[in-house]
Amino acid sequence: MAHDLKEKLKEALLDLNNDATLDYVQQFLAADEMTAKQAVDSIAEALEIVGRRFQEGDWFLGELVYAGTIAKEAMDVLTPALTADDARANCGTVVVGTIEGDMHDLGKSIFINYARSAGFDVIDLGVDVPAETFLEAVNEHEPLAVGMCCLLTPAAGGVGRVVELITERDLRARTKIIIGGAAMTQAFADEIGADAYAPDAVTGTDIIRGWVG
Amino acid sequence: MNFKERFVTAINHKEADRVPIMGLIVDTATSCKVLGKQPANILDLLKEEGPKDDLLAMLNTPEVWNQTYIDIVSDNLEAAAKLGYDANWAIYTLLQLHEDKSTKVGFVWHDPYGRVWEISEDNNGNSIINYAGGLCGTKEKWRAKMEENKALFEVLPDYAREFHCALQQRFGDRIYPVGYAAPGVFENSWQPMGFAEFTSLLYQDADFAREIIAFHTEHYLRHMDAVLDAGAEVVLGGDDLGQKTGPMLRPAMIEEFFGESYRKVAARVHERGAKLIWHSCGNINALLELFVDWGFDGIITMEPTAQMDVAQVRQQVGHNLALIGNLDVSHLLVKGTREEVEQAVEQAIAGAAEGGGFVLSAAHSHSLIDPQRLQWMVEAGKKYGKYPLVR
Repeated sequence: MAHDLKEKLKEALLDLNNDATLDYVQQFLAADEMTAKQAVDSIAEALEIVGRRFQEGDWFLGELVYAGTIAKEAMDVLTPALTADDARANCGTVVVGTIEGDMHDLGKSIFINYARSAGFDVIDLGVDVPAETFLEAVNEHEPLAVGMCCLLTPAAGGVGRVVELITERDLRARTKIIIGGAAMTQAFADEIGADAYAPDAVTGTDIIRGWVG
Repeated sequence: MNFKERFVTAINHKEADRVPIMGLIVDTATSCKVLGKQPANILDLLKEEGPKDDLLAMLNTPEVWNQTYIDIVSDNLEAAAKLGYDANWAIYTLLQLHEDKSTKVGFVWHDPYGRVWEISEDNNGNSIINYAGGLCGTKEKWRAKMEENKALFEVLPDYAREFHCALQQRFGDRIYPVGYAAPGVFENSWQPMGFAEFTSLLYQDADFAREIIAFHTEHYLRHMDAVLDAGAEVVLGGDDLGQKTGPMLRPAMIEEFFGESYRKVAARVHERGAKLIWHSCGNINALLELFVDWGFDGIITMEPTAQMDVAQVRQQVGHNLALIGNLDVSHLLVKGTREEVEQAVEQAIAGAAEGGGFVLSAAHSHSLIDPQRLQWMVEAGKKYGKYPLVR
């Protein structure tokens, strides 16, 4: 039964069926032999598949976002039932924000969703974040990576400024820098000396996963 | 052949005397640099000590807004004409200033559709505005906002008509102001709610999503009529349907929810004897066949940073769409060398201009674009764009 229910939950999420997903989540919670942790693992597996489908061009942004919305709703139900032992292994901390002068939130939110489901502890600095705030967060949280989102070319200079600040403080060995968003390119990442450029949230999560231990 | 004949000839897929050149200038920073003017930065006014009630009351009076706005767009067109462009897009919009203590500046702009635009400053001190979210996250809020702005929706097309007619009068003998009805139905549908919220509606409450789309389609058709009333042969419509790696929604879903709306818009433009060029940022390669099917006559932008390549688009759609773009604005027109600009222009013309149907243009507009590079683009366009093209 455990295997069946896990597969059904996964399939419901992959069918983008909100009601069925939440119904299976309730079945997990009601069944004595099942745990909330198993449901969470099933959701994480589904999101992994969603991410692959998006990267391969089989799924589109709307599907990626809606799968994230359903998963979040399911997690809101499951989280109170998780025990301390159920907490997923923390793959590392990632600090993210949209650079100063830019208020775009969508891409960053999608990234946060996927990075969290992949097991990262994500510190969200929000939008319109000054370079100094990124530096403070890097000092405070000692993250594995800092991710900057920038959709507006006029704001791109701020991304370079963060790289400079982190480099000047000699923190690059501890913290990698990844950038993404409509105004960002691999050439720009090379120019400012960022460690990586990601064309989308799922690839960004993959790249950071590759930096773990 | 004058600028207008050149532009219209190209849109009709015929070879003019040379490839026309169009601008997408909408920011004051570029205009001011070209015209040698000091930018009027609203941030300076907002940063001044003291109450802002009078400022808000003044700016939020439609007559004051419309007059101020037409002067700003006139500078854009003046700059475009000075650069030697044949055409430049012209967008009417109406924003209202609201106090918002949660933001850095303390003020935000609201538009009639329910978007919030935050005000900030770029690295050169130019004030810029960004879409920051919506005021209509729920069905109730959306309905309340549309009801609240009912009277405004009635007069907006009139404001747009006056705006486009005035621009034709001011600039019709020097440059072609191509009227652009914006924002489009897709953006007007999702941005006031938020993308996640609107996407959830498409799956969970499709009837309400259709109600929103129908409302905006009706309004958009009136807006487009107003643009056409200025006597345009070519108009622009637009919706950002793409993001960096592909369409925002599955193409079949866009067709299902928005196809009818776009067909109505194209049909209306054609009934009025004009051509419809569609603007979308992002990677829209997967939508090009739909654009043709909906009746669009061309596309403008084609961002290279979103893997849009004008020669590939020409191969994909042939002469079913006129193409306007796609010179890079992330590097090339910001700090590219003269050789790089020339090479990009030559390449774009070689890839898309044979038989007409191509207009050379920057892929977009922002404050860091360097007028010198734009000048190089124009010079290269005149050099490589003479018909018959030299192969």
